[in-house]
Amino acid sequence: MEKLAKSLVAVLILLVAAVPLLGQQITAQPETIELRARMPENGGWSQEFIYGQVNVPIKLRMTSDDVVHSFALGQSSRPSVEIFPGKFSETELTFDQAGEYTFYCTRWCGANHWRMRGTIVIEGPAAAAQPTSVPPLFLQLGLDLDAPHLAQIIPPNRPDTARARGRTNALPDGLTVGDTIWSKSPEALWKDLKADEALDDQEVWDMVAWGLSLQGSPGWLAQGRELFTQNCLACHGESGKGDGVMVRDLPPMNHDKMGSEATRPPDFSDPAVLLGASPALLEGKIIRGGMGTGMPYWGNIFTSEQIRSLVLYLYSFQIELEERP
Amino acid sequence: MTLPKFISALAKPILGLTLAVLALTAPLSLPPTQPVERYFRVEASQFAYSPGVLQVNPGDQVTIDLVATDVVHGIYIDSYELQASADPGQTARLTFTADQAGLFRFRCLVPCGQLHPFMLGKLQVGPNLLFLRAVLLSLVGLLLVLWKKPLPIASI
Amino acid sequence: MEKTASYRFDLTRYAWVRRLLTSRWPQFILRAITLAGFVLVILTGFIGSPVGSRNFAVMFVWIAWWSALKLIMLPFGGRAWCSICPIPMPGEWLQQGWLVKPGGKKFNLGLRWPRRLRNTWLQSAGFAAIGLFSALTLTTPVVTAWIFVGLIIVAVVVSVVFEQRSFCRYLCPMGGFIGLYSTMAPLELRPQPDLTLVEKGAAVREWPRGCPWINNPAALKANANCGLCLECLRTETGANMTLNVRSFDAELGQPGAFRLDEAFLSLGLLGSVMIYSAVFQGPWGALKNAALYAGSPAWWGFAAFFLLASFGLLPALLAGASALVRRTGNLGKPLRMVFTRFSRALLPLGLLSWIAFTVSFAFGKMAYLWPVLSDPFGWGWNLFGTAAVEWQPYLLSATPVIEAVLLVAGLIWSGRTILKTAEQLGVRGERRWAAAPVLLFALAGTLTMLWLLIG
Repeated sequence: MEKLAKSLVAVLILLVAAVPLLGQQITAQPETIELRARMPENGGWSQEFIYGQVNVPIKLRMTSDDVVHSFALGQSSRPSVEIFPGKFSETELTFDQAGEYTFYCTRWCGANHWRMRGTIVIEGPAAAAQPTSVPPLFLQLGLDLDAPHLAQIIPPNRPDTARARGRTNALPDGLTVGDTIWSKSPEALWKDLKADEALDDQEVWDMVAWGLSLQGSPGWLAQGRELFTQNCLACHGESGKGDGVMVRDLPPMNHDKMGSEATRPPDFSDPAVLLGASPALLEGKIIRGGMGTGMPYWGNIFTSEQIRSLVLYLYSFQIELEERP
Repeated sequence: MTLPKFISALAKPILGLTLAVLALTAPLSLPPTQPVERYFRVEASQFAYSPGVLQVNPGDQVTIDLVATDVVHGIYIDSYELQASADPGQTARLTFTADQAGLFRFRCLVPCGQLHPFMLGKLQVGPNLLFLRAVLLSLVGLLLVLWKKPLPIASI
Repeated sequence: MEKTASYRFDLTRYAWVRRLLTSRWPQFILRAITLAGFVLVILTGFIGSPVGSRNFAVMFVWIAWWSALKLIMLPFGGRAWCSICPIPMPGEWLQQGWLVKPGGKKFNLGLRWPRRLRNTWLQSAGFAAIGLFSALTLTTPVVTAWIFVGLIIVAVVVSVVFEQRSFCRYLCPMGGFIGLYSTMAPLELRPQPDLTLVEKGAAVREWPRGCPWINNPAALKANANCGLCLECLRTETGANMTLNVRSFDAELGQPGAFRLDEAFLSLGLLGSVMIYSAVFQGPWGALKNAALYAGSPAWWGFAAFFLLASFGLLPALLAGASALVRRTGNLGKPLRMVFTRFSRALLPLGLLSWIAFTVSFAFGKMAYLWPVLSDPFGWGWNLFGTAAVEWQPYLLSATPVIEAVLLVAGLIWSGRTILKTAEQLGVRGERRWAAAPVLLFALAGTLTMLWLLIG
């Protein structure tokens, strides 16, 4: 009897211990990579590097240990995958070219959310003659991204594309060449035009607005707004004032010592901030990040087209832009 | 003599029951107030709503802007069965008419960390009648506990 | 005071009930199952998902077991849980060398528990410690697992060093809570009421291994220290013991001594349930965070407040009220006795506050159980098809009413007991009002709980 009792205890405990061990064996999927998402304070992604081969699917099984996260690939139009705590999301990735790809979290998961980034390394035969990519304009121009760039000249009223189009149906030459516009701040453009054209101050500003409006690819306004809302708003704030929920306890920005300390982002509702910055400069800041200010780098996250849309969208805090009909 | 004794034995339970029923059903409602529009900006962080207690009157038109300040949070109002969720930086808005009176808890609906199941706030629509009745009932209870003398009817 | 015989019904008068209880097997099988469950909790805590609401350890212990204990086992069965608790089992196995049939090699020093610690102070401290870390424990599987491992190690060590179930009686942090409130349970193990003194003496001498809970069963009058282990039924003189169903008030309605440590535990438990209610059901986020982040400055503040309120403020208030009663009632009894007796009279308010808190808590969280049943480790399994059941609160509109009724019932029960106690202490019938300060204390406690839960 006593033996029976003792073996019953042993059997029950062994049974209980066997459940997870056997269960794990049965449900194990050896070819699947388990990726755990945690707040950056708790360790971020469980793997910073994921290795794979060209044209071999990578199966990911993802879960979160704390809050809602999301998995997305940089410079890709692939929709992001939501990751909920205690639940599992699966996805499959296939790359047809060797190289390094960035994956990142798209749902805000704390002040350090943007640090949740990792790299997928794809090995394989060297890609056949990749088209040499053109360096971004700010590198070509050798711009100093941290130099002060506040505009001195402020428009009397908000520059408005529609008003300019209502006045004339021809754009001045200075506003038709893309790279020219992209390399000059709205203030610089205004100065150039003002010298050439017999228009009053506001009319020239409206022309500048029109010129900028023409720079986006179709759908840029919606794309820019969506990117800004998802990625930028938590710091830059809904009004663009730089008072987002993540940074509101920081001191306001000092434009003379940009990049030297963690401050709030610039106030886009101040015309001097945006009108003194060229699209190339804003593009550079987005690509490179804020170097110590807490502004993340987005170069390997966004495509160049997305960054273009975002830059143009930023101007809409000061300028009435519109998409090409 | 048996009947009065019988009555006196029952007097306390009967009185108690009457008082209890009174406490539970007494018309406590205040005169209806003129509905107004109420706006609340509720900030949600791990693991708190701020403000955590929202007070409105029945019939009020209520707007709640939910602002998440660290991770994704949600809101679910008991009984009203309204819900919304907000990413940091992206305000979510709930608009409703406060047509159910009483006290309702609202809870976080998006898993937001360890204490997520206990992240809650209160929406109070009009006076909290249940609480007031419970207080009355407590007093009635104490009165009954203290009251020991049989009713005069027993000595008739 | 009118002497009414309390209602009692001897269940063991039926031969089959006695046989069922005298055999060690039914109880052993239940304990073997709970032991397996205990092992599962430790396993899931360590290797399962770190997300509390997706982990069997947290959900099973703190939602299912903790609620069932307070809603069913404790109020209706007293120490029924202790009867089937697996925690002392490995230690007992070592200590006595057998599980169901006496014999085998003993492995134990059999020391007596230190005299100074033969009370509930350590249990109060253990329960308070659980309270101080509750927000962390309730939500973190690995912490729950460590606590369980710690409990079992301590239980084994204590069983090997000390005699019998010293761990359960003097150390188990839940033991004080369960023991104190089992005073009001409608279930008791007692000697036959008509035992002669000679029989009582014989009974004591003839216990082959003594009472594991270190009582003298033949003289058992209170539930608090009887663990319902049923071993006394299994002795040669077991026929002298009976398992009775009784009225809820059967023990509390009679005068009973209450030690100072029990008085502090009674008030500490009342204070704890208020703080639990404020932390888990209140809208105060700062309080939740203070309770969660153990070791932070805010947590130290929370800990100080918890301990001062539960074991300082409440006892001070009741001592003040007791002093008033003593003066206005012209009681010749020492203040310490007045204070401890009134602490005992507050037990119903404490128990019903815990039940009300559990009602507010359990039905709101119960829906978290279903996914965990199908996926105990949080690994994405779906054993019973309930893994994807979404959370929803149950009985949403009924629970506040139930809570209110429970709290008022607790007040009335405590109020009656306070008056009875006052009478026992010497307050004459027509001067019942002298007990008003303690009644006001009970009223204030009830209103605080009402405010915390439904206000």
